[in-house]
Amino acid sequence: MHFDFDAGKYAVYVWPAFALTAAAFVWMIADSLASARRWRREAERLQARRQVQGETQGEAGKP
Amino acid sequence: MDARDRHHPLDFLTNPERFMAFSSWAAPMFGVIAAVLAGVGLVLTFVAPEDYQQGDTVRMMFIHVPAAVISMFVYLCLGVASFLALVFRHALADAAAVACAPLGAAFTVLALVTGSLWGKPMWGTWWVWDARLTSVLVLLLFYLGYLALRSALEDEQKAARAAAILALVGLINLPIIKFSVEWWNSLHQGSSTLFAKPGDALPAVYAWPMLVMSLAYLSAFGSLWLVRIRALVWRRKARALALQAAEG
Repeated sequence: MHFDFDAGKYAVYVWPAFALTAAAFVWMIADSLASARRWRREAERLQARRQVQGETQGEAGKP
Repeated sequence: MDARDRHHPLDFLTNPERFMAFSSWAAPMFGVIAAVLAGVGLVLTFVAPEDYQQGDTVRMMFIHVPAAVISMFVYLCLGVASFLALVFRHALADAAAVACAPLGAAFTVLALVTGSLWGKPMWGTWWVWDARLTSVLVLLLFYLGYLALRSALEDEQKAARAAAILALVGLINLPIIKFSVEWWNSLHQGSSTLFAKPGDALPAVYAWPMLVMSLAYLSAFGSLWLVRIRALVWRRKARALALQAAEG
């Protein structure tokens, strides 16, 4: 198997095309994962706060 | 068995809880498949011989064609999801539509930019206003219009409805892109994929890397689409909890 990485006179077109493709994938992956992580944490934080508030109100309501 | 216990086989696409359970393993699975296919596709890309006419620029075909095909496929997903959201008011369908639009826009930008970088050495120009290139630019404008409309209106339901209608209108552009090279004179070559007319089809040494890279792009889109829908489901949950907290 022989790898041909020498694009010769076309390197100025070929490598930027591959570099931009890689950059676009990095952006898509990073943005998607960051968005999912952010909203998951936010939902879990609010859920935990609601649980604590519910328990506090339950304690206060006891005779 | 109680009727409520029986689930439709496609429940995992309409029921948020079932979708979250399904996507928790499907998203990483598609991600791993995409990474493996991309690795194999890149090896095939750089062991493929130079083309006798196009030289080393032929390698750009293996990233340009998949980006162009997936940009159209994603728009089809956007159209179908928008239709389901508009007609059946599925919350998950609306999330699916919003989630795929930025990915579709990114794939369309990639198709345009890699096409331009390929066009300069082969056609002698970065850009020409012919039917194929212009209709793909219109596709990008539909994606950007969809995203702009979603964020321009404060009322999320109104924004979703208006954007869904725009997405459905944009579906008419897909056959125009596909058949533009047959309906009009174009610098862009016709189809040379596995489904092309005999004699026009790519030799296997070029067809395999293109096929493997296309499947890698498709799997990557599947994975990222699921991740973005999951983010929107959590966002909806967070907003509902915040609203409940505000109401006391």
